[in-house]
Amino acid sequence: MARGPLADTGRAAAVALDERAVATGRRIPFRGGRDDSRFWIPVFLLPFLVLYVGFTVWPLVATIVYSLFDWDGVQPLTQFIGVDNYTRILGDPLFWSAFRNTLLFAVLNTVIKLPLTLLVAVLLTRRWLLFKRFFRTVFFLPIILPVALSGLIFTYLLNPSNGALNTFLLEHGLLRQPIDLLGHDNTALLAIVLISVWQIFGQYMLYWMAALTQVPEELYEAADLDGANERQKMFHVTLPLIRPVAVIITLLALVNALHVFGIIVTLTAGGPGRATYVVSYFIYSEAFQNAPFRYGYASAAALIFAVLAFVFVSGQGLLARRAERLRQHYGV
Amino acid sequence: MAVLAPPTAALETPQRRAFRWRRALRLNLIALPLLIIVSFVWAYPFLWVVSTGFKTQLGAFTAGASLVPHPLVTSNFQRAWVGAAFSDFFANTVIYSVSTSLVELAKSAMCGYVLARYRFPGRDLLYRLIIATIFVPVASIIIPQFVLIQNLGLLHSRLGVILAMSGGAGALYVLLFTSYFEHLPQDLFDAARVDGANFVQTFWLVLPLARPIIAVVVIFQFIHSWNDFNVPLIFTLGQPSLQNLAVGLQAFRGSHSLDWAGFAAGMTISFIPVLIVFLVFQGYFVRGLSGAIKG
Repeated sequence: MARGPLADTGRAAAVALDERAVATGRRIPFRGGRDDSRFWIPVFLLPFLVLYVGFTVWPLVATIVYSLFDWDGVQPLTQFIGVDNYTRILGDPLFWSAFRNTLLFAVLNTVIKLPLTLLVAVLLTRRWLLFKRFFRTVFFLPIILPVALSGLIFTYLLNPSNGALNTFLLEHGLLRQPIDLLGHDNTALLAIVLISVWQIFGQYMLYWMAALTQVPEELYEAADLDGANERQKMFHVTLPLIRPVAVIITLLALVNALHVFGIIVTLTAGGPGRATYVVSYFIYSEAFQNAPFRYGYASAAALIFAVLAFVFVSGQGLLARRAERLRQHYGV
Repeated sequence: MAVLAPPTAALETPQRRAFRWRRALRLNLIALPLLIIVSFVWAYPFLWVVSTGFKTQLGAFTAGASLVPHPLVTSNFQRAWVGAAFSDFFANTVIYSVSTSLVELAKSAMCGYVLARYRFPGRDLLYRLIIATIFVPVASIIIPQFVLIQNLGLLHSRLGVILAMSGGAGALYVLLFTSYFEHLPQDLFDAARVDGANFVQTFWLVLPLARPIIAVVVIFQFIHSWNDFNVPLIFTLGQPSLQNLAVGLQAFRGSHSLDWAGFAAGMTISFIPVLIVFLVFQGYFVRGLSGAIKG
């Protein structure tokens, strides 16, 4: 199951493992080992299976069932209403704002963070640069902060009356009126996007760094002998070679950004108005925030959201396969 | 790569070396000031939190962007730790992080081992199912998880939170272990069999070889659990005594919105341990993340 920034890594690994591991799995001959394996195989599988069925497989099925009922989670599950929840959601303007904001967030977040992280990753992998380790640590730091906490910190820093940002800008004459970045429709989502970029920056920087170290050193030496400058080496050696990995990283970034939740709760609670209302927040507030809880309705929204995520993921799978072919083509 | 000198190095004349050195110096003179400024901005929120934790309540409110506590006090930490029950949040967070890490490690290592080394009916189906569900977003299945915990009678207990936090995760860890055990040489297992090792003994024999994966699982899960917000929020609604730091801090802000200094002290308390874990294990963490993308 995917959640939190670190889940991202999981997707990276899964994309890489998917095809290959299933394929090699077939080739494993039956090795019974000693006789006791018949007893121990189920025992070893049990802990994972119990939790997996209880907390992933069954919830998936149950979400589908709940979504067909009008259910508050308290009464018995008897009010079968068919696809009513779905038709109501499709006509719910709040859901569509949430949907639009989620996509907007995901796209903006990706478009901003990927080029910046690549730039810093390139810089931090230069041989000549001093204090690499120090800078890497600094850029990586925000990731250890709970997403919710970074949201809280920024509510203080961006506070319009005496927050650090406004005070600084006013004192240096860069601003005449204090600005409330999180309080305006136009700026709130962008501010959250930027804060989330700050938070996740180190992870993507590291992905790029890993990709960059895969480029064989001999290619750079060959380029040196041909008299290529740094810019030429970047555009004609590095970027074409990391393109397959870049496809994967881009899709990971998109999928991960679709799950935005904690930072919204702590920074704006979906406001001002509905300017930062996202799908995961929609589900949370329908199901858990205000009585009567609407589990059925929220489940239907959750399912639509899961389908949306799945569309992104299957797209990711297709592209990853394409990337794998490209990789073979380039012989990396 | 870095260890091997490039072939051109042998041909390098002192002039050429001097040229390279001057060029490196020049590039550093351009890049370093930029990086230092950006790093300062990057680290500013951390520095702000730590310094605000040492300010007086009034000082925190009027300090603006300044990072220098004046006057400097330490009472905020005591107030946050004792008065605002941060010690409880802290204890809960430690309990949740340690237990979910152990649960994840045990179940994924065992399952991954069996998936990698044995064929049994339903193996491929299970494998494909695990891969398919890695991408399920937590928000979309949290309602049934909540209902399940409720029906088990564990809703207002730490065990319930731990189960919810570690129940859904872990599919990825299984895949990491499977891939690792799959690539161990068969000779190892043959030798173990010749020596008469049984199933469990063989597992204990090869488990230490998976140290890199163990490190990745424990570090990822520990930091993830330490930072988790979504699951603890929903499973501890209205139960402050069960909340972790991330959720507790959010509630604390709701009720003490003017106590910036106390809040900052609480934040400092909450991220220092992770900071230490991170700095100590940074190498593992970086290698784990880069290893994951390389597949």
